[in-house]
Amino acid sequence: MKDAERTMKYLSSLVTGLALMLVTTLSVDAQITEKATFGKFAITNATIHTVSDGVIENGIVLINGETIEFVGQKAKIKPGYTQINAEGKHLYPGFMDAGTQLGLKEIGAVDVTNDQAELGEFNPHVRAFTAINPSSVSIPVTRVNGVTHVISMPVSGRFSGKATLIDLYGYSPDSMAVSPNAALHLNWPSAVKGGYWDDRSDEKVQKEYEKNLKELNKFWDKAVFYDKMVASYDENNANQEMPDTDKKMEAMSEVINGNIPVIISVGNKKDILNAIAWTEQHPDAQFILAGVHDGWRVADEIADAGLPCLVSTLYTPERDYDNYQRPYQNPGLLHEAGVKVAISTGDTENVRNAPYHAGYAATYGLGKEEALKAITLNAAEIFGVQDKLGSIEVGKQANLFLSDGDPFEPMTHIEQVFIRGYKIPMVSRHSQLNDEYLNRGAKKN
Amino acid sequence: MKLTHIFSIGVAVLMVGVAQASAQTAPAEAFDNVTIHTASGQVIESGTIVWRDGIISSVGKDVAIPFDAYVHDGGDSLHVYPGFIDGLALWGSPEDKGKDGQPEEPGDPSYKRAGIQPHRQPSDLLNAKDEALAKAPEHGFTTAALGLKGQMLPGQLDLFFINGPNTADNLLKEGVGAFAQFEEAEGATYPSTMMALMVQFRQLFYDAKAQRQQQEYFASVASDYPAPKKEEVLEALYPVMDQEQPFFFVVDSKENIERLFWLQDEFDFEVVLVSGKEAHEKADELKERNIPVLASIDLPEEPDWMSDDEEKEEPEEVTDEMRIFRDKQEQAYRASIENIQKLKEAGVEVGYASNGVKLSDIRENLTRLSEEGGLNNTQILNLLTQSTADILGFGQRLGDIKEGRVASFTVYDTPFMEEKAQSLYSVTNGTVTEIESESSK
Amino acid sequence: MKRIILLLFAVCLSHSGLAQDKGSVLITNGTVVTITDGNKENADVLIEDGIITEVGQDLAAPIGVETIDASGKYVMPGIIDAHSHIAGVDINEWTNPVTAEVSMEESINPNDVNIYWALAGGVTSIHLMHGSANVIGGQNETLKLRYGSSMDEMRFKGAPRTIKFALGENPTRVHGQNFNVKPRTRMGVEQVIRNHFDAALDYKRNRKDYLEAKEAYEKGQLSKPPVPVAKNARMDALADIIAGEIRVHCHSYRADEIMMLMRVFNDYGIKDYTFQHANEAFKIAPELRENNAYTSVFSDWWAYKFEVYYSTAFNASILNANGVTNSINSDSGELIRHLNHEAAKTVHYGGTSKQDALKMITINPARQLGIADKVGSIEEGKQGDVAIWSGDPLSIYSIAEATFIDGKKYFDRSEDANDMRLQANPEEDFGRSQQRWYDANGRQGGSCMRGAEMRFTNQGMKYQQSTK
Repeated sequence: MKDAERTMKYLSSLVTGLALMLVTTLSVDAQITEKATFGKFAITNATIHTVSDGVIENGIVLINGETIEFVGQKAKIKPGYTQINAEGKHLYPGFMDAGTQLGLKEIGAVDVTNDQAELGEFNPHVRAFTAINPSSVSIPVTRVNGVTHVISMPVSGRFSGKATLIDLYGYSPDSMAVSPNAALHLNWPSAVKGGYWDDRSDEKVQKEYEKNLKELNKFWDKAVFYDKMVASYDENNANQEMPDTDKKMEAMSEVINGNIPVIISVGNKKDILNAIAWTEQHPDAQFILAGVHDGWRVADEIADAGLPCLVSTLYTPERDYDNYQRPYQNPGLLHEAGVKVAISTGDTENVRNAPYHAGYAATYGLGKEEALKAITLNAAEIFGVQDKLGSIEVGKQANLFLSDGDPFEPMTHIEQVFIRGYKIPMVSRHSQLNDEYLNRGAKKN
Repeated sequence: MKLTHIFSIGVAVLMVGVAQASAQTAPAEAFDNVTIHTASGQVIESGTIVWRDGIISSVGKDVAIPFDAYVHDGGDSLHVYPGFIDGLALWGSPEDKGKDGQPEEPGDPSYKRAGIQPHRQPSDLLNAKDEALAKAPEHGFTTAALGLKGQMLPGQLDLFFINGPNTADNLLKEGVGAFAQFEEAEGATYPSTMMALMVQFRQLFYDAKAQRQQQEYFASVASDYPAPKKEEVLEALYPVMDQEQPFFFVVDSKENIERLFWLQDEFDFEVVLVSGKEAHEKADELKERNIPVLASIDLPEEPDWMSDDEEKEEPEEVTDEMRIFRDKQEQAYRASIENIQKLKEAGVEVGYASNGVKLSDIRENLTRLSEEGGLNNTQILNLLTQSTADILGFGQRLGDIKEGRVASFTVYDTPFMEEKAQSLYSVTNGTVTEIESESSK
Repeated sequence: MKRIILLLFAVCLSHSGLAQDKGSVLITNGTVVTITDGNKENADVLIEDGIITEVGQDLAAPIGVETIDASGKYVMPGIIDAHSHIAGVDINEWTNPVTAEVSMEESINPNDVNIYWALAGGVTSIHLMHGSANVIGGQNETLKLRYGSSMDEMRFKGAPRTIKFALGENPTRVHGQNFNVKPRTRMGVEQVIRNHFDAALDYKRNRKDYLEAKEAYEKGQLSKPPVPVAKNARMDALADIIAGEIRVHCHSYRADEIMMLMRVFNDYGIKDYTFQHANEAFKIAPELRENNAYTSVFSDWWAYKFEVYYSTAFNASILNANGVTNSINSDSGELIRHLNHEAAKTVHYGGTSKQDALKMITINPARQLGIADKVGSIEEGKQGDVAIWSGDPLSIYSIAEATFIDGKKYFDRSEDANDMRLQANPEEDFGRSQQRWYDANGRQGGSCMRGAEMRFTNQGMKYQQSTK
């Protein structure tokens, strides 16, 4: 039986593999042939939403190479700058989605195209950075909507692996990565039952939680021990036997020492409180909460613990008796309590909807200004890259886009995107299919 | 209800038994100096019950005890109740799991694989050594309509006097009803949904109708006509189609009761509703349709926060949303507990069926019915005895301690609703069994 | 006003179910989005006894009719979702490639809290669809979201019967790949349909012949009795499709499979059909137009499986520009909460006009469901299914404030309470209430495959263990 299953699986993956080869051949005419341009740009007459320093009407932004050279109302534009008259247009910093699987997963139902879930419970050493596919069709689809940066992360097991922070333009993960190792992803062990399908008894749920927590603690403690041991060996290895290498433990070093944060995916109130208590046992490490659907219930506790939250809005209420607006209100309520929030969709091919998650948060309590921060500067700060990303400021990377209106409004059009100074072709598979088929005509082929 | 029909058949069966018995008149037996509780709530203290050939010949105070009667003296401390009747019990049924494996085509299973076996007779398949049959008398049960475990149409319901391993020899009537439920086929097999169950019921009626038509045509002509099939599954539905036999239909939710009504409106069969946990929601319509309910007493657990037994510390303050949640939960809880009472208030005939509830859980649930469910002890006794007998069509024979009734009753050391009540004797169709209770062992 | 909520609350608890209530209301001074006749500024809408009796200015409320001031607000027809699985008990009778006999009419769950959440998004009607695990699945049921009523009262009276078909990966995977039952390919899918249509036509003829012969025999006009042909629920439904009594709504993605079904339907003379999802419909918009086929699509879902990899969010706009009547649907307990926003995306992708975008969630789905004479626009004589929005319904900043069905208010944001469940479970714990089967993102392994997926994941595993 088992063998038969395996054979079937192999066969089906073979079939999908073949299907994929077909994709590659077929997709020739859907390749993006227009090249990004790089150099010096002067964007003039724009309404500049700097995020860090208010709104500048009729403003000018100068881009020189990768960098924003000038932001203001008056500047003498030297020769050599390609001028872009943005009269009536709005300029925003590129949006960032702080939790996705973009680049890791191509087609959800086709297993061989899924690189977001490695086997095993504790995988701090696996890196999303390794498996980012710069040619993912979803990447251009995402960036032309103004989303220029994403955290892309592994999702399986307890420690899923390292998330990476990338921008959405480039030919290799290396060129796209802002932080190859941006964070470690932890799926918090739940102490509550799942949905209607979960028929475990309360006792069993609690028991499993305790067991999972114990394993997590054991792993963490071992990492701390390993780190100390290696440090002490490095300090003085005279007459010492060199300890064996442990890749997993090595990978934990930057985590336990707080050099990169741990993103804790957690939803239910009880679990959030458990997670907070756990983070307090590790003062040297940095933590971020993600998901937090019940966050509004314990917003004060989260704020007291100083934990930032990665949140979305387009999901159904956590509990059947929750008010229908809670998912929309959650970011606003967390912010009100003093929590720093950033938008994360958890999506892959529709990360392009991140602005709308922010838009709902804006409408239901967070307000436009804070919602804009949540999808730009807050995200950059949470991941420690505010020197490069998150706002339109001199010296920062030129990640920005021009729109004909409020980008939270779905009716608005994003007209030009810049990533790392590159003026990005505003095409994607979706626009190309439109170009090809809109006026196909009634002729039969 | 065409229960009169069934009843007359029942009487006929009984008459045969009686006639045979009286040919060799057996000695009488009696319980003397006992407190007799009748189904209607009458209490006869220091009373006497005399029976012969399985029939109660006299009951009351100062009753003359025949010279040939073997007398059990209750010493004025024992309590006698009519034997409880279970309107649908699964005691003695063989297990029904994993039968026949996976059909080659999930959408085209055999009748058996789909759980369609209305022709099966518990009397053929009864496992008389089943522990529940041995234990039932201890819990006061002397009669039960036994069904088989299964899915949508598990089989017939056969009425038995319950007497441990001897039950098999104590069949009172075959086919008091056809057991039906909205239960999908096991595993990956049609019907796997409620909507398919609905259609499957319909299609069975269509097919049965066509088969019968062909059988009739075949019988009416001498030659030149193809022989009809004789599919026993479909033939077993003829009595239901003719309203000669009711469906004993297990259904709980309000919506499923409505679905059952849709089927009934289409095919005009008789129904005894079994379990009916939300039946009070449809009480008026049940009354209108003259559908009796063999109610479940499988009551929900009391929500933790409601119980005042344990001195529990409130872990958190009761927030507004928690209060609303609790109000709703309490309403739902009360509705479940008061189901039977509300049905009775609406004039629906209510009896009792265990339908899988464990014998050991019965007492606790009965206690909650009396404490929280708005039923007094007499109503509970009546539910378990006369009312169920009426619904099964044996109201003149079973369910009470009266002259002329079948001698089926249970003798307790205290009134049966008391927590420590122990049954000492079970009398089933005139046969006395001394009960070895756990404590006396 | 408070009474309505209280009443609703009471209904929840008593389960007595209101009779199909109709209401009267005058909504004044709003921007009335009529859909069929543009927007009317500062206009009033009068609904009497469930019917829109007047749309105009300075209308007077008849005695006893409540007036609601909608100054600065928008009044729009209730949104209609042409593809939904909320309020369903079971979704997929997946076990056979053809199960035309089953109907979602018998699988309605009137107690699903998703109904209330949809009302809060301005939705008044849904097309409760069977799943997509089989080539010819079950019949669907069009509902009005009368939350707090019964299964029967949830039904949209007078809506034509519809049925689900499904092409492509879902049926070939479920039946062909998992059980070695045809079809395993798109070639097989076509033949399953044709074979069943042929069988249904044969059945219909044979059944009719039998009934006629039976009557003749019983009247003595025939000497020999006929051999009975049993009534067959499945064949009856299939024959009704060919007879035009049941409209087909076909789950489909690829352009080729859509073409295939149109060829088949042309061969059998079947009309009035809608392609659901139809991610590649944009490739054959002219052919769809030529066949008067409808489409009902996602605003932007794609790439979750291979057959939607060559998709574009411009699909709706391309179809619309090519004259195909298209709607935007949810197929999700989440998207249904903001279909207005999903429609607005057609303005973003492909520049559909705002009026046309609104049509895609009102009159167009109404046409596809055959209820456009009753709902889908604000017109005199139509049913009073409307919602009041705080602003332009296509704006992300607009909020549905009140939703009416037949003039009766089912949602009012100003009195919105916590816990709008109709049923409570006595044994449920406060901290973990999640009985509904949608996941956080509004889907359960793909709503369309609900039930079918379950079999292959949790339950399927259990099943395999219990048998060998």
